[in-house]
Amino acid sequence: MSEIGLVLVTELMRKIRSSVFIMATALGVVAIAVVLQGPRFFMHLEQSSSDDLIVAGPPALQARVDPMLEAHGAFKVVANVDRLPSSMTTAYLDAHHHAAAAIALSVRARRLHVDVFPRDLNAFNEVQFRALAPLSVEIATGVPAQRVAGAIAVDRTLHPLDTRFADGRSAAFAYGLAFGLIFILYFAIILSSQSVLAAVAEEKTSRIAEILVATISPSNLLAGKIFATATLALAQVAIWVAAAIVLLPTSMSALGISSGATSSASLYGGTMPIFEPKLLIAFGLFFVLGYLQFASAYAAAASLISRTEDLGSVATPIVLPVVGAFFIAQYALAQPNSPLAVVSSFLPFISPFAFFARMAVTNVPAWQFALAIAINLTSVIIAFWAAGRIYRVGMLLYGKLPSPRQIWATIRT
Amino acid sequence: MYLKTHPLVLLRARRPLLVATENLARDTSLTIVGRNMLVVDHVRRSFGSVQAVRDVSLTCRRGSVHGLLGPNGAGKTTTMRMILGIYPPDAGTIGWMGGAIDRKLRRRFGYLPEERGLYGKMRVFDQMVYFGRLHGLHESDARKRAERWIETLGLGQYARRSCSELSKGNQQKVQMACAVLHEPELLVLDEPFAGLDPVNAVVMLECIRAIAEDGAAVLLSSHQMWQIEHACSAFTIIGAGEVRAQGTLDELRRAFPKRKVRVVPDLPAIRAAFARYGAPPPLADGVVLAYELPTTTDFGALLREAVAAGPVESFQREEPSLNEIYVDLLKCAAVDAAA
Repeated sequence: MSEIGLVLVTELMRKIRSSVFIMATALGVVAIAVVLQGPRFFMHLEQSSSDDLIVAGPPALQARVDPMLEAHGAFKVVANVDRLPSSMTTAYLDAHHHAAAAIALSVRARRLHVDVFPRDLNAFNEVQFRALAPLSVEIATGVPAQRVAGAIAVDRTLHPLDTRFADGRSAAFAYGLAFGLIFILYFAIILSSQSVLAAVAEEKTSRIAEILVATISPSNLLAGKIFATATLALAQVAIWVAAAIVLLPTSMSALGISSGATSSASLYGGTMPIFEPKLLIAFGLFFVLGYLQFASAYAAAASLISRTEDLGSVATPIVLPVVGAFFIAQYALAQPNSPLAVVSSFLPFISPFAFFARMAVTNVPAWQFALAIAINLTSVIIAFWAAGRIYRVGMLLYGKLPSPRQIWATIRT
Repeated sequence: MYLKTHPLVLLRARRPLLVATENLARDTSLTIVGRNMLVVDHVRRSFGSVQAVRDVSLTCRRGSVHGLLGPNGAGKTTTMRMILGIYPPDAGTIGWMGGAIDRKLRRRFGYLPEERGLYGKMRVFDQMVYFGRLHGLHESDARKRAERWIETLGLGQYARRSCSELSKGNQQKVQMACAVLHEPELLVLDEPFAGLDPVNAVVMLECIRAIAEDGAAVLLSSHQMWQIEHACSAFTIIGAGEVRAQGTLDELRRAFPKRKVRVVPDLPAIRAAFARYGAPPPLADGVVLAYELPTTTDFGALLREAVAAGPVESFQREEPSLNEIYVDLLKCAAVDAAA
């Protein structure tokens, strides 16, 4: 077995046996579930705490208002009363099905007036009562509310210039999945790069490095370590992507993005462009390219420390680009053709995030894809080469952290 | 200056001495001379403005143990690291068995560094197998040898435990096993006895001897003079990056300019007899007189003189220990440097 292969297999076995790997994999699944199911859960909590109403006022008015409030699912009328107590308290709300608020209907100056007594002030706003606007117009003008509602409704037809998706539903779904995949990309690159950081730091601080570099080539050692972590990270990512694919439809459904098409069959039926294999292949490709760049940087940084306490000071400058790339990718998802998104998608270290975000939600020209891959490959080669030089010297360097000038001199020598 | 006349000092000569095989002229072919040994020929290495190794030459034969001695910062570890290819020398050559050392050949070397290092969470057995495989052993072979070494070093009960659970002494044994599992042709040991209790130090010593007897060339550095004196057949003493002395213990002793003589009893007449031979004032405890005399002294005549002067109960000429030679040499070097 070659040196790289031996280091790779040994590193793989060490990591698979470690509880950290198992915990990180499980934690990743939990994090994805939280991210994807969180909005649904919080929406449910919010609805259950703010949609129950007690309605008071003239019965005729109540009879008109109740269906309007409940029509779009914004509210649920749990009690109708003639009038509210002169001094409203939360105890009254508690006594009536733990309602979120009580409202009193009246007509003032030929307009509908609603007095709101909410449990939480911030839970109610004007927008939520717009459903009652046609009734207010009817009271003021005598035009039936149904006609008013029909008149003020604006028909809208979306004609996307981008032919990436068949309709808005597909686009929204693609956005959701891309968001999930970018989150996985971020999570996987952070975790796996830090795993390389920890492994190199362990060998440096425990002084194993000296024996290793006396036995095998430092470049082979570094390569074996990085490829082992990449292999493991790909396995982790496969698990996380599978979890994301399982959880995403229910999340999208809950958010109303894929209204009316929430069954698994329709989602996985092959009509959704997001499930084109090329996108998942691109995800794997950009993950590997991004990981190799960051892992090389982390390995080089770890080789410079003498004590594990110094890990933070060398790792922080490398974490920032990952975090920055994650936020730029969020922006690129929303504005994939903006100058910032386009330029970012060709910047080393940021490109794997930004370019993947763009290609997930818009049609990206083939030449841009080729250019991004070429830039990332070049960046990987340069990062690995520079990391190898720093690693070779850094692994035997003890004492205070070298200055940026000394590191630059090491790369140049 | 005394230093410059000291037979062991090589400040000016800058050539190895004493052992015939070590008197390698620069134009001598390593292929012929170094057929059976490690040859380090005038290597130099600097780190920035610091000259860690100025000029070191040594040879180490297969089947022998060569001691590399020197104070902290003398350049021992840097020399060892150059031999192992961790640092390339700025000048000079290092050869093995008459040829240059490449990475493939280096896998047949073994190394125990001064700073111990093991994977804390890896099991003892797995660790040995891994290092064996890094040195080119097949897995089945590495496993068999690991089992044998575990038994030899009495580590049976720890074989399946993580290395971090072991005591320092046992960790050192594991590290030694990792260094020798592949039966290296050249074994480089940097401070192998450091931190070991006397019992484990003897185990380590026996281990080193056995490895040399099996045909390996062993180069070791240590500050434990007793162990190194008993383990090594030849020595190189370096100071400030340069070779100060070289040779077998007998050769170093022969070149040492002084001998201690202990005489019992402490009588004025005996003191007077020694004074007539130009001996400096002795160290005395009331019973024993201890003199330091030049090796050129006619000790037989001195003995006869002392016996004639009084009732000599004991007259003992002592050969210098390695420690005495080492300390004296470095003391002289320090005096010379200060001057």
